[in-house]
Amino acid sequence: MTDQIRHRILQRLQGAERKNVAARPALPTPRENHLDAAQLKDQFMAQFEAQGGTCYPVADRGALHDRLAAIFQAEGITRAMATTDDVLLPLDLVRWGQHSGVSVVMPPDYPDRRGFTQAVFDEVQAGITGVDFAAAESGTLILAHNRNQARLVSLAPLVHVAIVPATRIVGTYDTAIQALFTNGRRPSQVSFITGPSMTADIQATMFKGMHGPQKIVALVLE
Amino acid sequence: MNITTERFKETARQELANAHTQKFLQILPLRLASRRDSAYQSFPDPETAHRYGQAVRDESIQRLPELLQVFETNAITNGARVFWAEDSRAANGYIVELAKRQGVSYVTKGKSMVTEELGLNEALAQAGIETWETDLGEFITQLLQRPPFHIVGPALNIPVEQIRDIFLQKGVIDTPTTDPVALGMAARRFLREKFRDLQMGITGVNMAVAETGTVINVENEGNIRLNKSSPRILVCVMSLEKVVPTLADAMHMLRVLCRSATGQAAGAYITLDSGPKRSDDIDGPEELHIVILDNGRSAAYQDPKTREALRCIRCGACLNACPVYGKVGGYPYGWAYSGPMGQVLTPALQGLGKTGDLIRACTLCHRCKIICPAGIDHPSLLLYYRYKDVVGDRALGGSGTGWRERFVHTLLSVAGSDHRLWRLLAKIARLAANRFRSGDRIHSIPNGPRGWFSSRDLRALPAKTFRERWAQMDQKRN
Amino acid sequence: MKRVSLFIPCLVDMVLPHIGESTVKLLRHLDCESTYHPEQTCCGLMSFNSGFRKEARRLAQHFIRVFENDEWIVSPSGSCVNMVKNRYMELFDDDPVWFARAHDLSPRVHELSQFIVDHLGVEDLGGTRHAKVAYHESCSTLNALGVSAQPKALIRSVRGTELVELTGADICCGFGGTFANSFADVSTALVRQKAQYFLDSGADLLVMCDPGCLLNIQGYLDRHHPGRRALHLAEYLAGSIGEKAQVAT
Repeated sequence: MTDQIRHRILQRLQGAERKNVAARPALPTPRENHLDAAQLKDQFMAQFEAQGGTCYPVADRGALHDRLAAIFQAEGITRAMATTDDVLLPLDLVRWGQHSGVSVVMPPDYPDRRGFTQAVFDEVQAGITGVDFAAAESGTLILAHNRNQARLVSLAPLVHVAIVPATRIVGTYDTAIQALFTNGRRPSQVSFITGPSMTADIQATMFKGMHGPQKIVALVLE
Repeated sequence: MNITTERFKETARQELANAHTQKFLQILPLRLASRRDSAYQSFPDPETAHRYGQAVRDESIQRLPELLQVFETNAITNGARVFWAEDSRAANGYIVELAKRQGVSYVTKGKSMVTEELGLNEALAQAGIETWETDLGEFITQLLQRPPFHIVGPALNIPVEQIRDIFLQKGVIDTPTTDPVALGMAARRFLREKFRDLQMGITGVNMAVAETGTVINVENEGNIRLNKSSPRILVCVMSLEKVVPTLADAMHMLRVLCRSATGQAAGAYITLDSGPKRSDDIDGPEELHIVILDNGRSAAYQDPKTREALRCIRCGACLNACPVYGKVGGYPYGWAYSGPMGQVLTPALQGLGKTGDLIRACTLCHRCKIICPAGIDHPSLLLYYRYKDVVGDRALGGSGTGWRERFVHTLLSVAGSDHRLWRLLAKIARLAANRFRSGDRIHSIPNGPRGWFSSRDLRALPAKTFRERWAQMDQKRN
Repeated sequence: MKRVSLFIPCLVDMVLPHIGESTVKLLRHLDCESTYHPEQTCCGLMSFNSGFRKEARRLAQHFIRVFENDEWIVSPSGSCVNMVKNRYMELFDDDPVWFARAHDLSPRVHELSQFIVDHLGVEDLGGTRHAKVAYHESCSTLNALGVSAQPKALIRSVRGTELVELTGADICCGFGGTFANSFADVSTALVRQKAQYFLDSGADLLVMCDPGCLLNIQGYLDRHHPGRRALHLAEYLAGSIGEKAQVAT
């Protein structure tokens, strides 16, 4: 039935007069392609802040832990959920949390999806994730979602903290996309996150945290 | 939604007199247009970036059947289900059936113009299924039962007092407030509850990538992400023109789309979905249904000229550039699609019978054509529709023309082919018009162009035309 | 010395002939010999815009016959020039013979200010006129022909003239041909806004390159702001050159 409809639609499209496709103009190489690692990092951080986030460079794990503790204390955050991605695992955030007065839970702690959803909606004040890439072109965090990168962790709580290894900062989206989609691999979902959740739908008055995080913080780890 | 494209003039008159509409039209389109211009400066070569995007959309439409098939194959490989819907009845039927089979009592929706085109909410309501719009602007217009005012801000013209009142009525807030932030936060809490036990979410699609079977959505609020992550079933509705060839093409179109729509380098959230969740993912939809909607598009595609309207990427830049939209806002266009893009798409899908005023409500200023990142030549398309309307073209449902108008243009063309007849006509016109002069002005001509004289005078036509003056100058020289 | 064939739009011929006279005066001042084909009638813009292509074709064929042997065809109207230069080919897209004739004619048709600045290479006519002037960017002239720098350069070079900023200079005045009558409410809102911006600009005069805009704006001013003046660029410049003024080369 639907096959017939499909066939009819495609037939109509195929039967129509073909027009030649105009040649594409040559695009200049992106500025970011000419930047070295330090410049990319600078541009990423500047763009991230320009887009409404807050960015902190941290030299090592220790500095990261200290900075994280300071941020959470300032925000009054005592409960956070962290994903189990490859950036976060070596940071041992559960143990850090125990020393810092923050209860850190993770998605595998929950027996089912319902429990996880309730926790990430209601029981935590912040979500902590790593990133697959960070694009300097617009200060964008790029996350490929899978069992170690649950989607709701960077979305549901009011605060999102992203740990960005400096080595994962790239110039443009294209570099990230090429890497994520190599060899026929296709992540079920990839998120590009640029700044906090926003709307100006009521009388053009801007406010942050409409559905997603109100605050977004990046810790750029050397 | 009710299609009211035939009431353009009447609705325009109301909107011109509406203080809130006018207040926002003074500010918003100019602001967005200015931000768009600034944002384009971040391209190393803005002009080429613009033309490149236009070329991508040209290719996308010229290769449409092939790209749709590649997209479908890849989407199915990813585990998505693809349903081809001939028209809105078929699309709505599929979605309603799906919802009923799952036993859902309500669905949530991300902002989607195509679902407005379908009248999906009404179809679901008729089946006893509640829908909750989750984009703040659409949530508000849904509660108030109003059509969208602007592509980017559907509820921008609505005074905050009205929002307060409807929120109170529907239990979104307990205590009255007109603080937009407080109202927004209340909406966040209210709508978050809808995502908690969500069975089915419905979104539109900004772009569908043929190369990988990926559907892409762009937003600032996060409600589309919630719709794509919380429910068990996700339905993404795409009109068939949304496909682009490759991921690289999609990246470029995202850059021009975000800049053209809101002057952002990127929307807060861009999500690329290639199939449902994998079996060991914790969240995400277990089933992803992609509805590919025709609804008149494959028919419009037959005409290579009309086909151009399908290039639109729904950025809204043409609305912000248009002097007519800038005075009347979105309502007069009478459907899901307003501004110049509505003026070229609606006639293709609805036929010319219902859109006679829509295709004429344009001064042909060309600003839309210049600003369009998809390379649509709106003025040329509108002129084409007018031509097809006048000749009563069958395929497009042209209405033909009244004998008076035809007489005028026939007379002009006959007299205009013979300069002596033309001079005679000019003399008659002058005598006829000047009969009504008072001094050197004409304030009105009975049975004449009322619209003109409603706000303008005409200077009395001079006794000697240029031709006569030239003849005299010529005589003097010789 | 260039021989220029005058393309005088029907609107100018019948309603605003002094624009034609000013055009002749300017061209003479620039050492061009003007010729005028009295057989010319109407380029067909109005019929074409209303969808009457068959009728517009007849007018276009007449136009092409009248003008196709001229090397330089100049008109004080951006919209009419756009019609001939760009839309004629669309009008004949299914008729190879007439398409070729339209295509051949297209590069030889010029809007007045573009002709003076780009082809005669003159920005300074040597004129004097003491006034504050605002410039309205007619849609066809600006958006369809890309002409904007030229008229402004010509205005600026007039001694004693100050070209002031005009808010929304490139926003449509609401004429659009029959649009002004058929969609009068919207048209009036646009021309009211244009008039207000003119009044706000502090300029004495509002200058433009399209007779249609002029009819519309002056018509509104006459009704609502009597005494305020809009005029065509040709009129403005013609008024700035006396008998003895020299052209700066």
